[in-house]
Amino acid sequence: MSVLDLPRLWRPETHQALFRRILDVAARPGRIADLTDLLDDRPAALAALATFCDNTQTLADPTGALSDSDRAFLDVRTAPVEQAGFILARGADAPRFTPRLGTLDAPEGGALIVVMVDSVTDGAPLTLTGPGIASQACLAPGGLAPDWLEARARWCADFPMGVDLVLADQTRIAVLPRTTHIEGA
Amino acid sequence: MHPVDTMGQSRDGAAYGFAFLDEDAKRELRRAIFKAVCIPGHQVPYASREMPIARGFGTGGMQLTLALLGPDDTCKVIDQGADDSVNAANIRAFFALTCPGVTGTLRTEAASVIQTRHRIPELPLRADQILVFQVPYPDPLVVVEPNAAKRRRMHGRADYARLWVKLYEDMVAFDEITISHRYPTRINGHYIIDPSPIPRFDVPKLHQADCLYLFGAGREKRIYAVPPHTDAIPITFNDVTFAVESFRDKATGKRHVCRRCGADDSFLDEFPDNDGARVFQCSDAAWCDMRLDRLEAAE
Amino acid sequence: MAYVAIRGGADAIEGSARLMDALRAMGASAPLELDQIERQMPLLHSRVLSEGSLYHPRLASLALKQSLGDSLEAAFFLRAYRSTKPRLGETAPHDTRTMRVVRRVSAAFKDIPGGQMLGATPDYLHRLFRFDLMDEDAGRFDQIARDWFGNRPKAEAPLTFPKVLDTLRAEGLLAPLAQSDESPFDITREPLIFPVPRSAQLATMARGETGGLLALAYSNMRGYGDVHPTVGELRVGYVPVMVPHPVTGKPMEAGEVLVTECEIVAMFEKTDSGAPVFTLGYGACFGHNEVKAIAMAVLDRAISVAREKGRVANPSEDPEFVLLHVDGIESMGFCTHYKMPHYVTFQSDMDRLRAARTKAGEAADAPR
Repeated sequence: MSVLDLPRLWRPETHQALFRRILDVAARPGRIADLTDLLDDRPAALAALATFCDNTQTLADPTGALSDSDRAFLDVRTAPVEQAGFILARGADAPRFTPRLGTLDAPEGGALIVVMVDSVTDGAPLTLTGPGIASQACLAPGGLAPDWLEARARWCADFPMGVDLVLADQTRIAVLPRTTHIEGA
Repeated sequence: MHPVDTMGQSRDGAAYGFAFLDEDAKRELRRAIFKAVCIPGHQVPYASREMPIARGFGTGGMQLTLALLGPDDTCKVIDQGADDSVNAANIRAFFALTCPGVTGTLRTEAASVIQTRHRIPELPLRADQILVFQVPYPDPLVVVEPNAAKRRRMHGRADYARLWVKLYEDMVAFDEITISHRYPTRINGHYIIDPSPIPRFDVPKLHQADCLYLFGAGREKRIYAVPPHTDAIPITFNDVTFAVESFRDKATGKRHVCRRCGADDSFLDEFPDNDGARVFQCSDAAWCDMRLDRLEAAE
Repeated sequence: MAYVAIRGGADAIEGSARLMDALRAMGASAPLELDQIERQMPLLHSRVLSEGSLYHPRLASLALKQSLGDSLEAAFFLRAYRSTKPRLGETAPHDTRTMRVVRRVSAAFKDIPGGQMLGATPDYLHRLFRFDLMDEDAGRFDQIARDWFGNRPKAEAPLTFPKVLDTLRAEGLLAPLAQSDESPFDITREPLIFPVPRSAQLATMARGETGGLLALAYSNMRGYGDVHPTVGELRVGYVPVMVPHPVTGKPMEAGEVLVTECEIVAMFEKTDSGAPVFTLGYGACFGHNEVKAIAMAVLDRAISVAREKGRVANPSEDPEFVLLHVDGIESMGFCTHYKMPHYVTFQSDMDRLRAARTKAGEAADAPR
């Protein structure tokens, strides 16, 4: 299959466009990125993984959300959830693991967790403060079990160590870097 | 017209792809950029590909820009504040050659991505703009600790005591903090960065900005970021104010102005003219042009 | 007063490129053919292959031609090209016993299994000018080739040779080769963050700049260090490259690459069993470059010694000092960058100096 025949989600120019939108909302927590025009009806969570994953990276998919075909295209190596650089998880399920948090010397080792939610906008509002946010911002993900916020607070308690979350519904994403403080969580 | 206006392809198929870098390299850069934004001020290591432009000439900045650019971007490249400085002209020509579709611009306000060496533009940048810095020395601790492993530990713990001691020794010796450019700046209350060889004048622009700042060191293989709306505080002592370059004339006490547009609040280039007199002119050429346009329009 | 802003950076660069080209084309000489560079300057060509870190003989010749003979620039061209090539896969480690040898000597023994094969080397020739080379014509080349191929010795030398050091191993004078399943550190995919494993040390030096490696190794040889090397074996030849077949996975020969390899035997050390053994230093690189392979082997030993003893006695033993300063592309780039405009930082320096001078009570700079 030549690069011209690749499905849209796997093309280099799509990855560049996806990355710019992901970067924009990572730099501005609370902001939502709509990826609809880039997805060709594939899930936004998959698009987020496709942007960053390749055969030098490790992924854990404990709920088996990825198809064999998607996994082949991602070309990513499998690792247990405690060791993987990338994790694909369901927001509805409380996380029962401790992901990689990085080290003081190498905090970038902390995992990137793509959390599939029902909606990035229809849930209970959370108040966000921290880098990237002028004074405060609001994010209201629907279908995110409260345990996630509590777990994230624990994992990110010792900055610079921690994890970075990408919340994804079918077509949109929001990013919660480890530096974002969620009020009451 | 550059003698090599197309790279062409060799008989056995040797060729280059969009934005020069292969997809693996771009993905690695994008992962590093993402982590850098999530951990403001932390130097994220990356492999750092060799570029067709020499190390020391901005390969770190270039790799960042090449990982960012798409055909709907508008790109500006400046060095010492000027688009036409040889280094900037060279890099801009490289982007034009390797990124078909990307628009080049000299105007700060028109650019979506700006790559810079040694200056931050005078015009405040917007939320839809990214400023990419070329960085020779990513680590501010290198002046007090030669061992890389120890420096990493100090950064992780935000243990910068030895840096403060160095500043104190400066004060004792010269009654001044003598650091001119590369002024150590604390990001989000934790990591202290080397903001690249921008003058002190530009350091305040890092603080609580609307735009995203990305820093790339090619030879040293580190990427770091200052996100928008993030604290960026130059380090100093409680009783010593952070001072920028004054451009004050010793004899008259007056602040020099740009001889071209009259600006009295921009960073100025000072150089001898052909008669041996000292002249002053805006370092940021696009800013100077914009001011001149406004002055002409007002007449 | 109207001021015309200084423009012309882009024009100057374009003019520079045209002038470089014109310098090449001036005079009566014919354009260099890539073949001439590869055939008649093979040792310079080898430097570029090994420092560029990409085995592409034709592009190495093009690099030398395009860079007007600057070996640092030429290696840079190849390295930059290499950095864009996709990674298709990895091979298993290659055993240089499979090398189709063109030269093979040992300083450790008077004679060795298979024999000392001097090969093509200037080592024992007199560095006296052959002035007849000033006017050579193509006919002369034909004659030389006919003489050589017409008078080939009847006895056929073997293509491959055993390793000299296997003799020492068999007697227990050298530690047995350690088997390792560890993946080698990939210096093109990860930056060097010390401490680094030996594979990173060797890979960095394998593409290091010859002069840089030589200077550091020489410092050790002259007395700063105590490696005291003996060349156990130096061999030059063509190593078949075995690549896994894309479907069957079976190793297939994809071609061969010219390699120089040097194994030095150095000071002995105690082993865990108590009996001392010789220690080993290893150097290898693309192309025919003996100075580099020997220097690399000496530095390999020097750094390993320091790691084993837990202390660094001189720069040639310090892995950071050696490995961070021998890459020709990085060192040449940074050296060259000092010619770039630095006037904004200089302006900032002037501000600080003036402030400090004021404080010191010096007479003010009077404006002219």
